[in-house]
Amino acid sequence: MLQSMEQTPHILVIDDDRDIRELMARFLEKQRIRVTAARDAKDARKAWANGHYHLVVLDLMLPGESGLELARWLRTQSAVPIVMLTAMGEETDRIIGLELGADDYVPKPFNPRELLARIRAILRRTGDHNEQRLEPSARGYRFDNWTLEPARRRLLNPEGVEVALTGGEFDLLQALVERANRVLTRDMLLDLLRGRQAGPFDRAIDVAVSRLRRKLEDDGRHAQLIKTVRGGGYVLAATVERA
Amino acid sequence: MTLRLWPRSLAARTALILVFGLAIVQGLGLAIHTFDRLDVQRLAQAREIAGRIANVYRPLAQSDPAHRDALLAQMHHEPDMVIQLSAAPPDDDLPDMPAPEQRLLRITMNLAPVGAPQLRWRDMVLHGGRDWRQAVIGIHFRDTGWLNIRLALQPLRPWHAPTFLAAFCLMTLAAAALTWWAVRRLLAPVQILAQAAEALGRDVNAPPLPVNGPAEIATAAIAFNTMAERIRRFVQDRTELLTAIGHDLRTPITRLKLRAEFVDDDEQRAKILSDLAELEAMVAATLAFGRDVRTTEPVVPMDLAELLRTVLDDAGDARPDLQEKLAYEGPAHLTIRARSLSLKRAFANLVANAVNYAGSAVVRLIPAQAGFVVVQIDDDGPGIAPTELDRVFEPFHRGEPSRNRETGGVGLGLPIARNILRAHGGDITLANRPDGGARATVTIPL
Repeated sequence: MLQSMEQTPHILVIDDDRDIRELMARFLEKQRIRVTAARDAKDARKAWANGHYHLVVLDLMLPGESGLELARWLRTQSAVPIVMLTAMGEETDRIIGLELGADDYVPKPFNPRELLARIRAILRRTGDHNEQRLEPSARGYRFDNWTLEPARRRLLNPEGVEVALTGGEFDLLQALVERANRVLTRDMLLDLLRGRQAGPFDRAIDVAVSRLRRKLEDDGRHAQLIKTVRGGGYVLAATVERA
Repeated sequence: MTLRLWPRSLAARTALILVFGLAIVQGLGLAIHTFDRLDVQRLAQAREIAGRIANVYRPLAQSDPAHRDALLAQMHHEPDMVIQLSAAPPDDDLPDMPAPEQRLLRITMNLAPVGAPQLRWRDMVLHGGRDWRQAVIGIHFRDTGWLNIRLALQPLRPWHAPTFLAAFCLMTLAAAALTWWAVRRLLAPVQILAQAAEALGRDVNAPPLPVNGPAEIATAAIAFNTMAERIRRFVQDRTELLTAIGHDLRTPITRLKLRAEFVDDDEQRAKILSDLAELEAMVAATLAFGRDVRTTEPVVPMDLAELLRTVLDDAGDARPDLQEKLAYEGPAHLTIRARSLSLKRAFANLVANAVNYAGSAVVRLIPAQAGFVVVQIDDDGPGIAPTELDRVFEPFHRGEPSRNRETGGVGLGLPIARNILRAHGGDITLANRPDGGARATVTIPL
């Protein structure tokens, strides 16, 4: 999986529970990821000064200085990818965290394998030199008068009315919007979305695209927005503005 | 069915008693006034008659008996008086005047300036009276002969002005209307109290009653607000406890999930993870139940039709085998203002219930009925036992006695959905359809 990486990735894990820190370190090291653990913001700054990290896993519920403040500080230091551990059901934490520039979030209690999949997806993206490093802090994207807000995970139609999407549809649309006017093969989409999706998704991609076209009022036969590419792929044909 | 003379409402009863009392007082007052006026008019009439008779009698009595006929012929008098000079007392078919009327007339005659010797009792004969509309009065001259006068009597009119009765009725009606208004106004706080109690039953966070109005009402309002506050604190304590437990369980569940990754037996690990997923779902439901959606999510414009279809798509993705039995009926788009995440959760819970209990769900969106949007979620399962209908909204109550978690869930799906809809000013009701299956009906105000 990580053959393309020249070195073993090094991750900084910040969580106030000692058992979780140790278990995560053991779990990730079994997957050949080097882990340094910190128990709070002070500890984390010290660890940050002494090492070079490819990714930070940050629990937002920290004693003392909050995880959000630490994330803000980290963003002033570098563009290192941040995966947040958010309290389940705390929407506002997640939204603020993503708007601060976190790359992804995993609600706690998390499934370790899902966390691992997310970490790998981000590492692959940042390690791939063909993939341009995306500005993680876009609050929203505008295309063809539609607005997609990744932090709030919502889509607004040209009248500003929220249009519901399933989790899969949202991730698919976000992947297409972030790489507008580039052809994404089904394999690439699968790879981008693997971290998020629990079940088999390959067949579902076509279903999700057809639903997305319906919701975007993009006529399936003469689709103008999400175009089907011969040979199995999709492209979002629109100018995307960052908000 | 008997006629209801005694109204049910307190305001109507109080007003009825007051208006009834008012009517009695007004009636008595009118009677006293009438009798008084009759007395005054009787006296005035007697004085007038006495004056008129005296005007005829005095010149005749002072003249010579032989010249009386000639004098009378020269005298001018009103046409309602018939005057005769006769040798005998009046002879007519009228009976004697009633004693009280006679006495009044005789006394006034003697008070009138007759200018002649006092008229004695036997010198006067009085016939007829008010009841006959005429009177015949005979006066015996001291020397010789009788003066007989017949005159018409005007009936007594106690209500001299024709507008008097109209004014009286108007006054009575105005007083009654004023009474009704005052009673309604005084008793309005009772209605407000009843409404507040009703609102509290639906929503513990309903605003407190305004403490104003009469002392008794203000005291009741204070007592009510205190009671509401206690209930609120009790409910709050309970939900806070649930939420705290939910929060605290997250760390041990995370640890256990990590530990499970070090279990080498694949089958056991899968079972542990599935147990933990279930535990996590329970914690998630408890936290969702304890959350007040009003404070955590803003109201935004959203497409309800698309939301319902997305909920069905999600349900279909989770159970591909049932995809055929999930359907949406209604308009393609319908914009309302709501909390989209919460509303999605509420409808997801309702659809999940239909899918888990009946294996099917038809979601029907009926736009705008009297300011409400109605959503029906139908299934073709066995329906709900009538004894269960009331209990399904109780937290942690599960429809299946077996408490089989495979299908039973945690027992918070419906209470969460109802909390969310009530926070939107709407509601959910559950019923069995006549043609089988259950129907959840959701109303959301526009």
